[in-house]
Amino acid sequence: MTLELASLSTTIRRFRKIGIIGIPPLDVIRAANDNNLVIHDLDEPLVREDLETASPFLPRVYCAILRTAVVNALHLELDAIYVDTGPGKCDCALHTATILAEALPIPVICTRNMDNTGYGYPLCQAHQPLLDRMQAITAGVKSAAPYDNPPPVSMPTAGFWGVPPRDFSILTLFPETTHIFGWARCMENKTPADHDLEAQFNPLVPTVFFAQSFCAKTALARYLAKKHPHALYLDVDVHTTGSARAKVQAFLELSGVEP
Amino acid sequence: MILGDFGTSYCKFLDLDAPNPEPSIIATKDLPQDTRVDLATGHNGKRFSARYVNELIALARGGEAMIVEDDYVLLDCGSRDIKFIRYQNGKLADMGWNAECGASMGFTIELLERYYDLDYSGLKVPEQTFSVTCGVLGMSDIFDTVISGVPVSEAVARFVKGIAINAYRFAGSPARLYLSGGLCDNPLFVGSFPCQVTPLGRFVLLRGLETEARQRRANTLA
Repeated sequence: MTLELASLSTTIRRFRKIGIIGIPPLDVIRAANDNNLVIHDLDEPLVREDLETASPFLPRVYCAILRTAVVNALHLELDAIYVDTGPGKCDCALHTATILAEALPIPVICTRNMDNTGYGYPLCQAHQPLLDRMQAITAGVKSAAPYDNPPPVSMPTAGFWGVPPRDFSILTLFPETTHIFGWARCMENKTPADHDLEAQFNPLVPTVFFAQSFCAKTALARYLAKKHPHALYLDVDVHTTGSARAKVQAFLELSGVEP
Repeated sequence: MILGDFGTSYCKFLDLDAPNPEPSIIATKDLPQDTRVDLATGHNGKRFSARYVNELIALARGGEAMIVEDDYVLLDCGSRDIKFIRYQNGKLADMGWNAECGASMGFTIELLERYYDLDYSGLKVPEQTFSVTCGVLGMSDIFDTVISGVPVSEAVARFVKGIAINAYRFAGSPARLYLSGGLCDNPLFVGSFPCQVTPLGRFVLLRGLETEARQRRANTLA
């Protein structure tokens, strides 16, 4: 065990419940798992509180996922928060960490995830409801264990590129044979800073390039959508609007994708 | 089979079982609440039918039925929103639906016509324009311009031209576009586009619904 790991282990065993924003390095997750800590993924809606409660800390026009993380951090009883601020996350998370560190009486620890050992991405290519797979992928960030019994690879009929959306309801519009690309694939692979993997797509299947509104990844999503021969670029803020749903429905149906 | 396009300001109907089916139109505010149709589209449509086709699909199907080319842009300017589809080699290549920043443009144009008692057929396309992204926000430009001494008709014409240019950019700034919606009947609006415009009228979504209905009927019989 290196000195850094020893220090991490010594620090983390003082906690019982931690929150994570983004994907901290596997060393952090492994240490938390080894010490049986409860991990809350603050990027997901966890508490029934108005998103407006984040407004004293973050602008209203800001990444909905980070606003959600702030709401969770304010309302959950946590012992510490680990925020990844490396190349697998964004400047917005770095600034959010700075603000939370001052607002909360608990340690807010910034990490720099440079993990580059791929775990694989079987769920991204499986034949299952897209919503279920995305939920499993996001739940997977709380574990450092390797994947057992990966499902077989399916023949793709559509693609979803992007991050796990703040509002998962949009995922119900896609067929079960939708393959997942983008940062969500990097999440499952446990290499969130792998920009080459993030930029991959399948040009043979109609693909929705999704990003959260006000996220830096909107530029990459739109750029890749223009390169893809059959793509729809889509950004959504807090909730999936009727027009966003209609665009996805129309895109898939008019592209001949079977439900 | 009765088809209905339930828009914000107007509802359009077509009875496919009539001897010579012709579309009919009624102001949405005058629509009986117990109205029921067999297949509906439009943002109010789900309230009046158990079977619904989303507006972008209805627009695309209408374009497929009415436009013979393989490459085209079809832009629908409604009361509440704007949407477009772009086909390339006979297949969908791009689409967009702006219900937020393009909000209430058509509605505002009609509102201004009544409020200022204007006749759009008598207004010339102005040299100048407003930078309009939303019908509501654009109203401020009109009031400011009128206060500065510009005639109301000129100020409104600049507003209408701004809306047309905004819609044109939203559709990807094509050299030529097909136009759908009630604003096809507004010569000032049609003439304000900086490109070649072919108006298809206000029944394109209804035509798309007709295509969908006949397809569904054929699938049922097969």
